Amino acid sequence: MKKRFFATALVAAMLIGTVLSASGCSSESSDGKTHITMLQYKPEAVKAFEKMEAEFNATHDDIVLKIESPNDAMTVLKTRFIKEDAPDIIGIGGDVNFSNFLDADMLMDISDFEGLSLIKQAYLDIDKNLEFVPMDGVYAVPYVANAAGVLYNREMFQDNGWEIPTTWQEFMDLCEEIKASGQQPLYFGFKDVWTCLAPWNALACDLAPADVCRQVNKGETKFIDEYPEVAEKMLELLDHAQNDPFAYNYNDACTAFANGESAMYCIGSYAVPQIQSVNPDMDIDSFVMPGCDNEKDNILNSGVDLQFCVTNECKNKEAAYEVLSFLLEDSTIQTYLDDQNAVPCKDTEFKLSPALDGMLDYINEGRVVDYQDHYYPAEMSVDAQIQTFLLDGNVEKFLNKFDTDWVRYNRDIIRKVQEYEEKGGNE
Amino acid sequence: MNKKLSRNQTFLLITVPVLALFFCFNTLPLIKGLMYSFTNFKGFGSYDWVGMRNYADLFTDARVGKSYLFTFKFALVATILTNVIALLLALGLNGKIRAKSALRGVYFVPRILGGLVVGYIFGYIFTYILPAITGGSSMLSNTGTAWIAIVIVAAWQSIAQTTLIYISGLQTVPEDVYEAGAIDGATGWKSFKELTFPLIIPFFSINMVLSMKDFLMVFDQIMALTKGGPAQSTESISYLIYNNGMGGGQFGFQSANAVIFFIVIVAISVFQLNFTGKKEEQL
Amino acid sequence: MKQKNKVAATTNWPLTILLILGCVTVIFPLYMAIVIAFKKPSEMTNDIGGALSLPKSFSLENFAEAMRVTDFWHSLGYSVLITVATVVLAILLHSLAGYAIGRSMAKSKFYKVSYLYIVSGMFVPFAILMMPLVKQTAQMGVDNWFGVILCYLVFYMPMNVMLYTGYLKNIPIALEEAAFVDGATTWQTYWKVIFPIMGPMHATVAVLTALGTWNDVMTPLVIMSGTGANTLPLAQLTFQTQFGTNYNLAFASYLLALLPILIFYLVCQKQIINGVVNGAVK
Repeated sequence: MKKRFFATALVAAMLIGTVLSASGCSSESSDGKTHITMLQYKPEAVKAFEKMEAEFNATHDDIVLKIESPNDAMTVLKTRFIKEDAPDIIGIGGDVNFSNFLDADMLMDISDFEGLSLIKQAYLDIDKNLEFVPMDGVYAVPYVANAAGVLYNREMFQDNGWEIPTTWQEFMDLCEEIKASGQQPLYFGFKDVWTCLAPWNALACDLAPADVCRQVNKGETKFIDEYPEVAEKMLELLDHAQNDPFAYNYNDACTAFANGESAMYCIGSYAVPQIQSVNPDMDIDSFVMPGCDNEKDNILNSGVDLQFCVTNECKNKEAAYEVLSFLLEDSTIQTYLDDQNAVPCKDTEFKLSPALDGMLDYINEGRVVDYQDHYYPAEMSVDAQIQTFLLDGNVEKFLNKFDTDWVRYNRDIIRKVQEYEEKGGNE
Repeated sequence: MNKKLSRNQTFLLITVPVLALFFCFNTLPLIKGLMYSFTNFKGFGSYDWVGMRNYADLFTDARVGKSYLFTFKFALVATILTNVIALLLALGLNGKIRAKSALRGVYFVPRILGGLVVGYIFGYIFTYILPAITGGSSMLSNTGTAWIAIVIVAAWQSIAQTTLIYISGLQTVPEDVYEAGAIDGATGWKSFKELTFPLIIPFFSINMVLSMKDFLMVFDQIMALTKGGPAQSTESISYLIYNNGMGGGQFGFQSANAVIFFIVIVAISVFQLNFTGKKEEQL
Repeated sequence: MKQKNKVAATTNWPLTILLILGCVTVIFPLYMAIVIAFKKPSEMTNDIGGALSLPKSFSLENFAEAMRVTDFWHSLGYSVLITVATVVLAILLHSLAGYAIGRSMAKSKFYKVSYLYIVSGMFVPFAILMMPLVKQTAQMGVDNWFGVILCYLVFYMPMNVMLYTGYLKNIPIALEEAAFVDGATTWQTYWKVIFPIMGPMHATVAVLTALGTWNDVMTPLVIMSGTGANTLPLAQLTFQTQFGTNYNLAFASYLLALLPILIFYLVCQKQIINGVVNGAVK
């Protein structure tokens, strides 16, 4: 009796397995076509990518494109690299992960890809800067960028006659004015540590050199000399936050802002779809973080949000280029833009979301600088260090630790950079 | 298989494949992990041997030190809290009450739920419900109280099983022990201290060992509630190893951390088992 | 018998009521989950009344959407597959190993060492095995649900072998000798005599292994990555992506993830509770 029960259970389990696997993977490539797999890291854009995949496969007979958008994509991607089973194309952000993949020789030089000439130079430069030591060749196609600064509730601003601030003083005055009117100027979601980086990056763009990390790696400066103003202005922002900003996470802050609980929200343009999922009719606009005392000195914080790289394991470069060319077609980019709130890196006119109105001039003029945190090593957890600092308020202690930790976490890179400098490498 | 196998041959035929499987999926990766602890491996791509550097760093790394302190503080407090509440609950549930099995059934529910999902639900309660009731701020946003919130959730889940084990312990205490005690005037606290507790000491030590080990490895609750924050005040060792080893590029360094952690856990368990060894044998 | 009646007659009502009130600590979080799961994002407010209140309507919209987003039936299928296969194989394999090792431990050093070797695996933190295992399963071509099952069989081996050998001590060897006399081999004796006797321990192993595998996230996350397959807890990570958390949808999905095991618990409550107790006490 018992034995039969076990046997039945096992057979049943295996049967489910077969059924699931059968429905899980499609027929293998005995069809003579080239198969290209792509893994992209933005699960919120899965719908746009599904459309793009269908469109590509409908128009190409010889290549089959498969786009994967897993949850926790960076872990998945890293495990795929460990397994030596990397996808042909990866869609990742222009951040330290890209630098690491590059440093570990995972990516292919694609400087002979023609589509690169269509990309705005500013974004190619941003990607170039992410290389730990300058390398020959090009390793990524910047696709879309995002921008971070301050989002504001256009309706609230119009109703109260508030004006867009262009200097730090104006910004602080505006916060006071809003508070005096009995409303909440800013809302933060600092429980999610990464949200601390949004205002931090935006301020650092205005107030610190763009290549500060590289300078530190070369031993030319220290963070304690470059970041104090950024840190102090972070504390000033905190004065205008809601009660207990460390209790709420990103989602809470988006919800509160969407419900009109605050007039402004220091975050990137990537938050707009999330905010509008709570309040679809909300009229959101944005302005550049006015960190400087002079409008002319302000710079928009904008980095590559999504870029495509071809991995070294890709066996059919031509087919991969075909896919990249398709992705760069205007109509494909528009598909993406309609779904996601982003700034295309291609040098063509597109219809952008009204939430970017206030940043448009900066974008068109190319007055943009990359996110500073794209150079911070993930394991150093700078976001958590900023949160720690905001809780205790000691600028000097925070930046001293920043400097010590930096050397510790980056020593292999610093060694590489300095070896490179010694060999006479120059920019 | 015409020939009949001897008893020893049969045993060998069973044991060897099992050992091989175990070696393949436990020892082999362990050895590889040990190997990586001497490298600056990021988890992918090329890497260099760095000798003992990771281990030397480990002992001077403030963040690692802090995570060990947090983990031990957490495990100790959670173990005590869990066992005290569970023991009280077990006494209650073993008392002269109505709907005994239904009540036991309800109190056991937390054990079967997944830690991650439970953590998400509690995270919401700590952020919105509790501050609204108390008028204060969220426990999770304060470095002084965030760890207590994690203790509460971890205890909430583990009390279920601990209680159950105490109940089964209490059921081994024969009724006439109490009657004899009552004649001597032992009631209430005195009866518990002098009669009940000595009889359930084996169950007490099991619970201490089990909950201590589970709490030292705490991961899901932290992942769901604080992600190590605020201000890195709730980073447990397991969380740090996972977060910086997998997410960050510190795989080699965190492998060294895992090796040390492994040694620490073995040492504590050996100590606890030695300490309670005699009592265990009584079972 | 007399005493039993006396106990029933003198119910401790204050204690009963106290314990019933205490149930709130268990039920309240679940109540919250249910309430939130039925609400719409626009019904969510950051104040106490709004958070506790019942939703305006009990529409199943969130649940339908959650099932779509997490590909519920597929995820459930994989969870069931992995859990059932792990449990069945664990019972068959670990009981055999426990038998072979347990019966020979006293006489042979080899088995004594084997026992300690396997049991010591209990202390190995998963974190250290994770990355090498990912590489290894991929090289062996089992970076899928099957590899996850193999891993679980090894992860639960220390505990289960310990439980089985412990239980075996209480089974007199004389039972087996009777079968030998009838000419049965050790193998046959095991299946006919020992395996059925270990029934209670099978239940314990089944419950403990099932609870562990069902709720585990890490192993399937790292091993099955890239196969497009999810287990039910794994699918919940969808709601933790930085840029897309929606509490209502998430809680509907959490409830759906909790539901199968809650139903299972309601049906097999007694076996589960006994299993957990035996596992810890034996």
